[in-house]
Amino acid sequence: MAKTEEKTVPPVTLVDPIELSELDRDFREEIHSMPNGEELGACFACSTCTAACPIANSWDYKPHQLVRMILLGMRKEVLASDEIWLCLTCFECQERCPQNVRVTDILFDCKNLAAEEGRIPPNVAELGKELVEQGQLYVITADWEREDLGLEPSLPGLQTEEVRNMLKKSRTGRMLGEDD
Amino acid sequence: MSPNKVKSEMSDPVLVIGAGVAGLTVAVELADSGVETVLVDRETSVGGNALNLYKAFPTDDCFYCFESNRSRPGIRKCFYRSALLDQPNIDLRVDTEIEELNGEPGSFEIRLKQGPQYVDPKKCTMCGACTELSDAFSLLSPQCQPQSVIFNPEKEDEGSSKAEEECPTGAIDLNAESTETTLTVSDIVIATGYQEMKPNQIDEYGYGQYSNVITQLELAKTLDPNGPSHGALVRPSDGAQVRRLLMVQCVGSRDENYHPFCSKICCVFALKHANIIRRERNGTDVSVVYMDIRTYDRHERYYREAREAGVEFTRGRVSEVTPLEDGTLDITLYDSLLDKYFKTNVDLLVLSSALEPSTGMTKMIEELGLESASGYVSPANLLDTEVVAGDHVYACGGAIGPAEVPESVTQARAVASKILQERM
Ligand SMILES: Cc1cc2nc3c(=O)[nH]c(=O)nc-3n(C[C@H](O)[C@H](O)[C@H](O)COP(=O)(O)OP(=O)(O)OC[C@H]3O[C@@H](n4cnc5c(N)ncnc54)[C@H](O)[C@@H]3O)c2cc1C
Ligand code: SF4
Ligand code: SF4
Ligand code: SF4
Ligand code: SF4
Repeated sequence: MAKTEEKTVPPVTLVDPIELSELDRDFREEIHSMPNGEELGACFACSTCTAACPIANSWDYKPHQLVRMILLGMRKEVLASDEIWLCLTCFECQERCPQNVRVTDILFDCKNLAAEEGRIPPNVAELGKELVEQGQLYVITADWEREDLGLEPSLPGLQTEEVRNMLKKSRTGRMLGEDD
Repeated sequence: MSPNKVKSEMSDPVLVIGAGVAGLTVAVELADSGVETVLVDRETSVGGNALNLYKAFPTDDCFYCFESNRSRPGIRKCFYRSALLDQPNIDLRVDTEIEELNGEPGSFEIRLKQGPQYVDPKKCTMCGACTELSDAFSLLSPQCQPQSVIFNPEKEDEGSSKAEEECPTGAIDLNAESTETTLTVSDIVIATGYQEMKPNQIDEYGYGQYSNVITQLELAKTLDPNGPSHGALVRPSDGAQVRRLLMVQCVGSRDENYHPFCSKICCVFALKHANIIRRERNGTDVSVVYMDIRTYDRHERYYREAREAGVEFTRGRVSEVTPLEDGTLDITLYDSLLDKYFKTNVDLLVLSSALEPSTGMTKMIEELGLESASGYVSPANLLDTEVVAGDHVYACGGAIGPAEVPESVTQARAVASKILQERM
């Protein structure tokens, strides 16, 4: 019998699969144990949340995919995603979810987890700082508009001192105030 | 049964509540075996959900000549007609509800209240003279049983009393009043079926707001040659021909906000309808938006046939429904397999709405001390037969959860055989 040349070439890799064992299997439990995560495991991937979302069209990861990623343990990808910050918190997804998964609230929890790891998008951090420092988010700039309406140039009686003090001592204050 | 029970109670009749396919089957099986049966239904015709359904899976036969009549061949093809007219052991009372339920297992005291019998079904020949004279008289369905017109006192007009005078058989009595009867029955069979949920509350579909958004049961009536449009697939808004139709599955089913269970047969009848439309209503496009297609056991063939017939399937959900001036609906869909949003325009949006327990089930379950399973009657012992609900209380068909006709009939026969065994 003719001897065939034996080759031990690795098979051509057509796909680049994610190694399941390398995912963070505790992530699911981490979210599940939070007050909003109770029904997380009930998700049956119907995608009603994504159908309901007014903004997900432009997202790489849709709401139902984010939930799936949490269930699978894709912690890094979820917490590094822009989507959790782009969420409008309109609650449409949560309102319609047939399995009572608190989608919006869970995305909120993800934001908190990301923030604790220092992953806050610069524009959000900027807003946060403004809030901590000014005690208000929207400072009056165009006072000519107020003038046209016959209003005083600044808001009469506006006191932000107390709010500022409180916010400085809050988690937001601690997280954003450090580099001052 | 326990040996010390008195035999005489055995002569009491059996009460069957609900005269749908299941209740009719129990009543006929018992009656044929010599057991007196009181069959009540709150509607004016028997048939329940199977009235006006056109073709039935799994055989695609007409509903009225289906399954249950196989054991009574040769009399007449229609099971209901022959059974109801010929069987003296059946005491049929339509337009009747249970007012009071007392007594004990084996000897229940029942008070029945029957609405006014304005038209005597035994005399009415359905000549149609009264319906010409007054709008208050109508025929519920050409297939209704008893075969008789009905009178709606809310629509009484000048023609009504003329119709009463001129009825050739003297069947009409406009002064009829409701009656009450008290009776003792040995067993109670709950065959109250289910009702289709009206999905008004699920805002994203606009049911109840836009007239071209309907349910599967409403579609079934449209497709029925005996129905209001004589089988023509038309839009409710203006009677125009439907060219594009979209179905949405799992509306109010598998939804913790409405009904947590899968309604089990809506996938099959949605596909049955889709196939009828593709095959018999030329040129109408049908799409089905689903999250899972559940055509259990032998019904998988409807799914395959639907694909062959050119029904389009989208795995995803509806985002938004917008009505247009011309009566059509713009629909935004999310396709979760492609991860894309699509927009389409349809004449008719058909919702596969949940099948829920009949009105009044909670009260009946409570009064009889039974267990409830999401509002349906739960079997007394899950490991034993599903048709025994309690002591001398049985349930079958849609009353124990969404079921197809063959299943309802099988359960109904199991009930009849249980009762007959008890009496041996
Ligand atoms: C759109 C649609 C299409 C379908 N197509 C098919 C098909 O193709 N093939 C198939 O096998 N099945 C089909 N089915 C299912 C079929 O209709 C049911 O399996 C069958 O009707 C169940 O019969 P039932 O007697 O258990 O209940 P029902 O038909 O619901 O009858 C119950 C009866 O009880 C009466 N009732 C209820 N409560 C009371 C009360 N408290 N007092 C007095 N009377 C009461 C009601 O008025 C009713 O007449 C379809 C269902 C739907 C909705
Ligand atoms: S709507 Fe709820 S159940 Fe459906 S995919 Fe989204 S989170 Fe999961
Ligand atoms: S809450 Fe966020 S994810 Fe949910 S629908 Fe609104 S924007 Fe989309
Ligand atoms: S006129 Fe009399 S017999 Fe004729 S349909 Fe009316 S009730 Fe029946
Ligand atoms: S039978 Fe189909 S449409 Fe009906 S609830 Fe189950 S999965 Fe949904």
